[in-house]
Amino acid sequence: MVPNDLRSFLEATKASGDLVTIDAQVDWDQELAGIGRLACERNGPAFLFTNVKDYAPKWRVATNPIANWRRMAVAFGLPADTHVRQLYDTYAEREQHPIPPVIVRDGPCKEVVVPGDKVDLFDLPVPMVHDGDGGRYLGTWDLVVSKDTKSDWVNWGMYRFMVHNERLLTGFPRPTSHLGKMLLDGYVPQAKPMPIAIAIGCDCLSHLSAAATFRIAGNEADLAGGLRGSPVELVKCNTSDLYVPANAEIVIEAEVYLDRINQEGPYGEYPGYRSGEMGNAICARVTTITHRRDPILTVDTTGFMDSSATSTSITGAIAIKRRLEANNVPVVAVYVPPEGGVHLAIVAVRKGGAEIAQRVVNVLTVRRALISKIIVVDEDVDVFNMAAVIHAFATKCHPGSGLHVVRYKGRANTLTPAYTQEERVSRSGASVALDATWPPEWPRDATPVRATLDSMYSPDVQRRVLERWSALGLK
Amino acid sequence: MPQEYETFARDSAHLFGGKEVVMTLRDLTPGRRKYRGINVRGVVSRPPRPGEAVLWIRSVVGNRDPAPCSVRIVEELPETFQGLPYSDFFEAMQRA
Repeated sequence: MVPNDLRSFLEATKASGDLVTIDAQVDWDQELAGIGRLACERNGPAFLFTNVKDYAPKWRVATNPIANWRRMAVAFGLPADTHVRQLYDTYAEREQHPIPPVIVRDGPCKEVVVPGDKVDLFDLPVPMVHDGDGGRYLGTWDLVVSKDTKSDWVNWGMYRFMVHNERLLTGFPRPTSHLGKMLLDGYVPQAKPMPIAIAIGCDCLSHLSAAATFRIAGNEADLAGGLRGSPVELVKCNTSDLYVPANAEIVIEAEVYLDRINQEGPYGEYPGYRSGEMGNAICARVTTITHRRDPILTVDTTGFMDSSATSTSITGAIAIKRRLEANNVPVVAVYVPPEGGVHLAIVAVRKGGAEIAQRVVNVLTVRRALISKIIVVDEDVDVFNMAAVIHAFATKCHPGSGLHVVRYKGRANTLTPAYTQEERVSRSGASVALDATWPPEWPRDATPVRATLDSMYSPDVQRRVLERWSALGLK
Repeated sequence: MPQEYETFARDSAHLFGGKEVVMTLRDLTPGRRKYRGINVRGVVSRPPRPGEAVLWIRSVVGNRDPAPCSVRIVEELPETFQGLPYSDFFEAMQRA
């Protein structure tokens, strides 16, 4: 059964042995996030902190809700030991059946209302996630709602937001993000203040939808309904016409300034580095805060193997596959390994070669280019088996002619650690397809044969070997 | 306990020389308001001057210069700077 709010998800992860509750006092200043960070690096559990230094016990903090495949499986309502391949299949299947949200009059997120003139962001146990960050980050595992000025398009995105003072937030939804596009193409030209709502601690599949690579003008609330198998209940904001998930633990309503800015960043980000991407952000003034009576602030201790790594692994891979299919690439499977910090994709194709590899990298960099390395493999390579992928890459990618590079300006991923500061400012960069397929023009009789059991042994020998293997009790 | 701040600089050299500069400071006073931001016009000194607030300078990737400075706050500025969304914050500070 799909947990339909954060609390039922935490119960389910506790039952599966994937949640540890810490009742001892923990400091919000680095210590709390440091524990979550280590859990990411060691494939450890999620944590629920019930005693945060300087804050009343009613405030709790939960870290890294779906930063590994076990907790991702629980969020999908599946057994915790479900294989990543099945999680991909589940997402791909459910994504095809969106369910629109329903509007409700009230919800748990309205239990406590803090009006604008009483708002003090330091009343929330916002952690200092890493030493050397620009400030305390409130939005790390959030769901930011914004609405297009010219259509009914409502965007949910996952964007970082930092506390500047009692009522001011600065944030970095990239200019190429859907929120950035709405702001720059709609609100700024129309000189119209832009309302946003930052929902924290919703059900995990709503957050996964917010983080998803999703089409422009697509409503992620519909996607969330499809993934959940039930509509998301939305409730109207107090100070704008936006709607937020009624089951959210905390909702920060705010208005983005059109002519004011402030410091944002730097911040240790999902690629696993703090890259110096500071100085180009947005600034928002909080108009009200609503929350549950005993709220749980969710935090992604961003960095190597965080929740966005697993989230984008699934949603990015499925989006890549669909885009390649739409562009007549003979794609069979796609995997975005979380270890790659959302910079690496493995694409298996029925027929490879230079022309296909070039087309793959062209298609995936048309609008914005988050992935910078794509390993293209033949369909007999299991994309989820990284040992097989590395073997194919190391042996089949021609070092002189197997690299297909696309360079671009204005749409590069400014968080890519490899880029210079100048490239970051101009959003310039490059992506490469690493062609690890056999050239299709090579005759079959001259194409090397892989020396593995499944390729270089007769079917009869394979069968006998496997039978003996089983009889020996080996796995 | 003396007041203590940190600031982030793209080019820390421009902070020195005894002239007034615009900065965003993060207040490092322990407690629940730690890291609160204030925008100021101030004078940075290295080595730190007695009686002034301690200031630590961090780079754009967050590395802290181990040599402490001090800051004399001349005036506190409005909580935001003039600038379009996504415009360069460091340039906006220089214009302020």
